[in-house]
Amino acid sequence: MKEKTQVTDIDRSLYDFRYEEDESDFLEGGITPSIIEEISKEKNDPEWMREFRLNSLEIYNKTPMVNWGASIDGLDVDNIVTYIRPKTRMNKDWDSVPDNIKETFERLGIPQAERESLAGVGAQYDSELVYHNVREEVAKSGVVYTDLESAMHDPKYAELIRSHFMKLVPPTDHKFAALHGAVWSGGSFVYVPEGVKLDIPLQSYFRLNAKGAGQFEHTLIILEKNSYLHFIEGCSAPKYYEAGLHAGCVELYVAEGASLRYSTIENWSKNMYNLNTKRAIVEEGGKIEWVSGSFGSHVSYLYPMSILNGRGASAEFTGITFAGEGQDLDTGAKIVHNAPDTSSYMNTKSISKSGGKSTFRSAVVVNKNAVGSKSSVNCESLMLDRISRSDTVPVIDVKTDKCDVGHEAKIGRISDEAIFYLTSRGLSEEEARAMIVRGFADNVSKELPLEYAVEMNNLIGLEMHGSVG
Amino acid sequence: MENVKLNTLPVPTFSSLGVNFAEREIEISGPEHISVGANEQKQIIRYIDRESDAFTALDLNIESGADVKLVQVFERTAPLVSKLDIALGDNAKLDLVQIYIGGSDTVSEIGAKLNGRKAVFNADIAMKLDGKDKIDLNLVSEQFGKKTVSDIKLGAVLSGEARKIFKGTIDFKNGAVGAKGSEHEDALLLSEDVVSKTVPVILCAEEDVEGNHGATVGRLDERHVFYLRSRGLDEEKIYELMARSKLLQAIDKTGDEQTNSRIYKALGWGERDE
Amino acid sequence: MSDILKIENLTVAAEETELLHGVDLAVGEGETHVLMGQNGAGKSTLGSTIMGSPEYKVTGGKIIFDGEDITEESADKRAKRGIFLSFQNPVEIPGITLSEFLRNAAEQQTGKRVKLWDHKKKLAAAMEVLGMDSSYADRDLNVGFSGGEKKKAEILQLLILKPRFAILDETDSGLDVDAVKTVSKGIEEYRKSVGGTLLVITHNAKILEELSVDATHILVNGRIAKEGDGKLAADVLENGFEKYVGEEN
Repeated sequence: MKEKTQVTDIDRSLYDFRYEEDESDFLEGGITPSIIEEISKEKNDPEWMREFRLNSLEIYNKTPMVNWGASIDGLDVDNIVTYIRPKTRMNKDWDSVPDNIKETFERLGIPQAERESLAGVGAQYDSELVYHNVREEVAKSGVVYTDLESAMHDPKYAELIRSHFMKLVPPTDHKFAALHGAVWSGGSFVYVPEGVKLDIPLQSYFRLNAKGAGQFEHTLIILEKNSYLHFIEGCSAPKYYEAGLHAGCVELYVAEGASLRYSTIENWSKNMYNLNTKRAIVEEGGKIEWVSGSFGSHVSYLYPMSILNGRGASAEFTGITFAGEGQDLDTGAKIVHNAPDTSSYMNTKSISKSGGKSTFRSAVVVNKNAVGSKSSVNCESLMLDRISRSDTVPVIDVKTDKCDVGHEAKIGRISDEAIFYLTSRGLSEEEARAMIVRGFADNVSKELPLEYAVEMNNLIGLEMHGSVG
Repeated sequence: MENVKLNTLPVPTFSSLGVNFAEREIEISGPEHISVGANEQKQIIRYIDRESDAFTALDLNIESGADVKLVQVFERTAPLVSKLDIALGDNAKLDLVQIYIGGSDTVSEIGAKLNGRKAVFNADIAMKLDGKDKIDLNLVSEQFGKKTVSDIKLGAVLSGEARKIFKGTIDFKNGAVGAKGSEHEDALLLSEDVVSKTVPVILCAEEDVEGNHGATVGRLDERHVFYLRSRGLDEEKIYELMARSKLLQAIDKTGDEQTNSRIYKALGWGERDE
Repeated sequence: MSDILKIENLTVAAEETELLHGVDLAVGEGETHVLMGQNGAGKSTLGSTIMGSPEYKVTGGKIIFDGEDITEESADKRAKRGIFLSFQNPVEIPGITLSEFLRNAAEQQTGKRVKLWDHKKKLAAAMEVLGMDSSYADRDLNVGFSGGEKKKAEILQLLILKPRFAILDETDSGLDVDAVKTVSKGIEEYRKSVGGTLLVITHNAKILEELSVDATHILVNGRIAKEGDGKLAADVLENGFEKYVGEEN
């Protein structure tokens, strides 16, 4: 005896708010070399960066659009205003941030996070870092957490950045990497010196505000030997009618024996196109752990890639994707075993509901030199109704005999048994389903710091409210 | 001769992996049509080992309640393109057994449409490749009917510089309520120069289904090796036994003595030990 | 003492097969009743149907609880009335711990928020009565629990949720002597602290050795074959079911 309920639009009002655009000014029109010159001049780019941008634009114009995966027809990139600059300059102190901007972050919970034992917050507002505060302990340990643009001008880091910037994800990689190379703006730079292990997670929070603006922030993290860092990236954007675009880039360098955990909850608004390129390269004995929860955005392409480049390097990927009404989420992960005795482990789950479409694409590549490597991939998909879709397309590419690669995937629905069991304890059917789905997403929530796990569970609750009967 | 694109993955992946499709120059002929009438039982055994067989296509239509076994043994040296299209009606059943032994370039496409209610498609495939053998196999099982069942198993043993691409898709269409689909590959790699690509795909547009796929690729399980060692077998013998067992799963399903003899001979196994 | 549960001429089917053919049964409030029968007689079907399992369809008759017809009510509404079913084979729910789950269920019952500290205290006390190691509270609900552990976890829920009417479905089957003692202890604790009504479904009845039974019902091939008091249960324990088979028509 199930009750049919109306499919209600997901209540995202907690995140859907914005301000008048008088705070910002825009650069008109599409993307031409003169625009790039202007951006470069605004930012006071060093000569090499100015050339890099122009070169990237050339590559962008010559590169065809990606022609597989979710459709991005609704996206007219040339009309996306690429650079929004708010009135405020970067601040070291929360108090000096203008009120309306402060309110945005306050509503999104940043100050609370600040009060808790987090090391620092780099928050991006409309393509630039507005508020930035590095805690003393972090600064003392020698960890550098600053915005990428100023680090580029700092003689201490300029060379380091030049030798690493877009070497892991070159502009030639694909069209949006080229776009990124030309118009990138803002983003974090993190440098962890040898042997430093930072217990407190560093978090970054960015937000898209102006109509039609694109987010092109670049995150560059360099971990020296035997260091440790947990970096959390979480984002949100308000709902618009014009297509919003996020074409960010994340480059992670993990040196010998170092360990990096990179956690993300993506909760972009439903009109967003989330085309993000994330890549990590891990040296001998190093480790990269990705924890990823993908909820929002209209269309998403997200395939974090890990290159295991030194003996004994390892990668772990734990992810959950929730595709709801009107969403087409294309996610997955790529792992390349390029050295002996490397290991990888993937545990991904996906949920499809209310006509949403979730596509999981993965690749585990074991090169000839990756003797003694091990890989285990486990994917599970949950269908919540008959109108949604879930596609799983994994590839295992092995070029040596001396390895062990295992892969398992399952798809199914919530069992009637489980619903009956929970309802017999007084939960309504809706609550029972929400509880089971939260349990299903446990692989990710248990890897996140508490406040993120709570946010994720709340998101699931919102998404589950109003199931198709 | 025409240039034909085949073995297309229903949903493409990163093109750099080279598994989205295959292209070959072939002389198309046929296809051969076989229709098995309602409630009929039929066994079809084909041994495809002539150099001159460059292209073979079979269209198999299985009416309601029919029970068919199709055995195809591909003992190859020269290139071959094989196409197999299957349609299953209500309660129809197909047991497909395919054995691939060698072949410089085999491209095999299998498309099964489980149209009828409770249609069943079982596929047991074995591959033994050595030297410069190459195989690209694309199996797509489209489950349209309610309570349809697919069960696909592949056992592969690769040595020398062999190259294998196996793409297996279970496609649950909307309407396939109560359907079940299962796919498993077990690939044993015996030399450092082999290349094995596996693409186990599940596509789903229906809620009430059960799908699972698994793949194990690489060396033998250390625990199995230890167990066999503790029973006195040396490493060479162990590998021989384990390779055989991976292939025997499909070979045992042919159900035909004569065919099996030919297969053992082609594999150099002599008489089967009881 | 009025009847808390009254089943009138209940016919139940699953997948086009009729499993219960016109069952009449009444249980007085505060009493302990036993439902016995051989495998396949329909005991679990009856228990699950009283709880509102979607697996079974009521094709005729009524279920009346506290004077109200609940035949069409969903399982969660029945739970809120105070009906509880201890499952024979509880399902595993990964990702939710036993403790979280119980807290949620307790909140459903009262409709009020249960303070974490209070909940933990109550849970610890109940677990002690059952001799359950405290680590079970943080394990995922029933995941990897042995048969005995699952049954104990069900009784733990009985003690935390304190329902007015508890149906115990084969709670003693598959348990060793010590486990049966523990489960019996839990049931005893429930009766003492709640004074609820019990319907114990069993076909082997080790558990009855510790309980005082008010009435026995014997189910044969989907029909009530015989009813009696506690002595009837004792008789079946000693002499088996044979003499009642055939009496159901």
